[in-house]
Order: sequence, then C-alpha cells, then structure tokens
Amino acid sequence: MTFTSFNFLIFFPLLAVIYYLFPARLRWIVLLIASYFFYINIKPVYALLTTGITLSTYLFTRLIDKSDSEPRKKAFMIINVVLILLPLFFFKYFGAINSGVLTFLEDHNLRWPLPEIKLLLPVGISFYTFMAVGYTIDVYNEEIKVEKNIGILALFVSFFPLVLSGPIERAKNMLPQFRSRVDLNYANVIYGLKLMLWGYFMKLVVADRTGIYIDAVFNNFLNHNGTSLLIASLLRPFQVYTDLGGYSLIAIGTARILGFKVMCNFNRPFFATSMGEFWRRWHISLITWLTDYIYTPLSFTFRKLRIWGIVLALLITFLISGIWHEASWNYVVWGIIQGIFLSLEALNHKTRAAFEKKYAIIKSPVFIFLSIVVTYLLFSGSLIFGRAGSLSNAVVIYHKILTNHGTPYLDLTTLAYSFLGIFLILFKDFTDEYYPDKVKLFENKRVWVRYGSYLLILFIILLFGVFEGNKFIYFQF
Amino acid sequence: MEKTEVTEKLTLILRKVLNNDSLVLRDDMTASDVDNWDSLSHMIIINDIETVFSIKFKLKDLNKMRNVGNMIEIIISKL
Repeated sequence: MTFTSFNFLIFFPLLAVIYYLFPARLRWIVLLIASYFFYINIKPVYALLTTGITLSTYLFTRLIDKSDSEPRKKAFMIINVVLILLPLFFFKYFGAINSGVLTFLEDHNLRWPLPEIKLLLPVGISFYTFMAVGYTIDVYNEEIKVEKNIGILALFVSFFPLVLSGPIERAKNMLPQFRSRVDLNYANVIYGLKLMLWGYFMKLVVADRTGIYIDAVFNNFLNHNGTSLLIASLLRPFQVYTDLGGYSLIAIGTARILGFKVMCNFNRPFFATSMGEFWRRWHISLITWLTDYIYTPLSFTFRKLRIWGIVLALLITFLISGIWHEASWNYVVWGIIQGIFLSLEALNHKTRAAFEKKYAIIKSPVFIFLSIVVTYLLFSGSLIFGRAGSLSNAVVIYHKILTNHGTPYLDLTTLAYSFLGIFLILFKDFTDEYYPDKVKLFENKRVWVRYGSYLLILFIILLFGVFEGNKFIYFQF
Repeated sequence: MEKTEVTEKLTLILRKVLNNDSLVLRDDMTASDVDNWDSLSHMIIINDIETVFSIKFKLKDLNKMRNVGNMIEIIISKL
C-alpha cells in the first residue's frame, strides 16, 4: 500500500474514523497497529526489520540511560548504531560488493562458484533506520530523555505516514506528541487535507507527467540528441522536487489529520540564490540529519584545520550522501560535486559578501534572478549523474548536451501538461516566497476563492494526473 | 576568570570570525540572531575559543550551547 494506491484511499479514512472513536489515551495503540498493518501490507517480512530495530534501540538506549560510566554509555551507543545499520548495509551494498568481487575474480581469470545475488531493498529501511540512529545518539548526548514505553518507541520507528520515505523525523519532536493526548481538531483536519491535496497534485500531475518525458529520453539516450537531453535534464529537478516533495506533503498532511505536527521537508528550493541555501531548502529532514550526525562530528574532529576542516567535512558528508543514494560511481561523483559546490562557496563566502555589499546588489531583482538561475543550472547539471545510471552514460549525455544539437523530441501532450503543472508550482512557490500575505488561495478568507481553488486543483488532478505505475523515486533509497 | 572577562574575549573572537566589528553579545543571543554565524563559521569559532582560553570541548558540549549564555557557562566550567 502506498499513498497513491486505491487501498490507501480506503485505509486512511477508515483508520481516521476508528482512531478518533477510541478513547484518547488508547489512540497511540490504534496507530501502532495501523502502522504495522500498513507496512506488513507491502511485505509481511518487513515488519521483522522494524521490530528488530525497535527492540535493539529500546534495549541499548535503556542501557545508556542506566549506565553511570561514560565509556560504557558510548559503547552501548556505538553497538546499537552498528547493529541497526547492519540490515541497511546488507540490503543496500551486499549486491554491489558481491558483483564487484565476482568481476574482480573474473578479470584475473579466477572462477569462483559465487552466485550473483540481487536483494530487493526493503522500502523505507533507510528512513526508519536513520530515525532510530538519531534517537540513539540523542539519548547518548542527553538531548532527550530515554523512552521507557516500548510501544511508543515502536510507533516512532514504524509511524506509517513516515515509514516509506520520511520526512526523517526526530525523536524530540515526535515522542512528546505520541505521549500526549490527541483530540479531534477541525483546523488540523482541514490543514492536513489541503497539504494532501497539493501533495497529490505535485506527485500525480507534475512528477509523473514530467517523468514520462524524462524516462523516454534518458532510458534511450543513445538515440536522442543533446537538445532533448538538455530539456529532460532541465525538467529533472522538478520531477524529483514534486515526487519527494509531493510524497512529503501527503505524509505531513496525513500525520496532521491524526493530530501530529511533522517537520517540513522542502522550502521552495528553486528560489535559493546559492547552493548552500539550496541545501537548506531541499530534503531538509535528510540534510539536517546529515548535518547533526555526520557533518558536525566530522567538522568538530577536523576543527584545527579551520576552513579546510570544514571543506573536508563537507566533502565526506556529501560523499556519504551520494553512496547512500546508491553504491555506484555516478552517485559518488554526484556527492563529490555537491561537496565541491558547497566547499567553493564556503571558501568564497567572504569575497561574495564583500562583492554584494560593495555593489549593493543583494536586494537587486536582477542579481537575485541570476543567482537563482545559476543555482538551478548547477543542481540540474549535477542530477544528470544520478539519473544517467552509470558514469560512462553520464559522460555520453554531457558530451551530447554540449555538442549534439538538433530538433528536440517533442511529446507535445506530455510537455504541455508538465509545463502547466510546473507553472502552477512555480506560481505558488513564488507568491509564498515573495508575497506571502498578498496572494492566498487555499488560505483565502473568502469561502468561494478557497473552495474554488480546492475544486480547481482536484479537477486538474482528475483531468491531467497520471494514475498508472505511480512509484515514488525515493522508495529505491 | 570572571564572566565579564570571558564575555569580552568571546566578543573579540566572534567579531573577528564573523567580520562584524560592532557585535555586542547578549546571553539570550543565538547563532540565528547574528549574520554569518552558520554551521561553517561555528566550528572556526569553537576552535578559536579553545585556543584563546586553552580549553578543550567535547562534542556533547556543542549540543548544549543553545545560546551565548550557555556558551559562556560551558567555557567557565572548563577553565
């Protein structure tokens, strides 16, 4: 069951009714059962992973809490982090390591009867593993108190709106909410429904429609010219934004209807004026997680190197982010490129600030527009490495974009619907960014404007949405 | 070392790293209140504090630095 499946449209309203019919003190139990049902519905065996991670995390965080010795606390923290990361490493990298060893042996004329094993990555494993890792480190760092109710911790790990692709929430935000009494709140339900509506629009109308063109071009890149590849590459950031951003809004909206406030995952990323700002607006729950649990410890370790320590920490953090996306050279390069962008900005931070101050351009619309365009181009250019499938493919695609121009492949219906959707996304993000109090549709005081907007978006979803094969891009991570 | 002396030395460090000669510290001030005090400059500030005060932080200490007041308390506790 996923958010775009028919089953979910039955499951969720039914759950919401049962949930609010139960006494408030028992509602977390209903949610826990529903979360396991939701995850088991994808594949029953996956529940073993969430259960194992919950049990291990519960045991070791209680030991951290009870221990008086600092080395022991640290040992318990490390043991749990390693233990719960093991399944993720196994499912994610075993196949790549195994085939790497086989290729190496064959290259050296050694035949070894090792079977090539391809494991399917349990959907969502990265996301709930990261949440459990974060909780363990937070307990060790005394950022939060240990959770003594194993049921509440199990709900944190398996909470169905977040279990498949995040947002990667923090225990200090979710655990107090799970422990508190939740009452039916009209404003929460309406706000949650609005988020879900916009999320479905992003996913079904924009992500899946642009995906048709992008897949047609990238999956057959040898037969397409550079102009088509350029159009597909420029559309790709919108596809990823509306796919994961749409998923996130549905997740946040679902949680809100049930009475929980979940962190926002995207903040109008295409209005960022630098790569640093872009990464503070894009996949926020992952980036803040990487900042807290990887970048900060690394930059602290390298602090004697001053700015170069920061550069090193940035490069390693984004390298890890790349390898997390996929154990392949194209994602390694993607990660390193992001690290280089941010390192160059860190090294030139003072020069840029002085330049902006000297020419008083920081508020100039032309300068802001140009900075936004450059940031977008840098990001879309780097995404080619992720989408190409391999490093050699990426090189061919870049070569074609730079040298092989001609009449582009035009799937007019797909492109027209895509651009209509992108225009609406940009219009909403633009007005939210620069005129938040002047242009309001979903939040308008006039009932007819509000309901007119809901109906228009619903109409667009039904008319232009793609309702077949809706897979979310981040399920593979 | 008195709190005022620690605050004076800390002000000099922050003014130099953040390139802001008019910066005046308050106990309730956080990084988000000050221009250029981001995750990049923060670690340079931490390193300079360690050098100037001849102290050594633990990673756990960083998580407890919610504002300038906390930062000063932690520095004093290490002196």
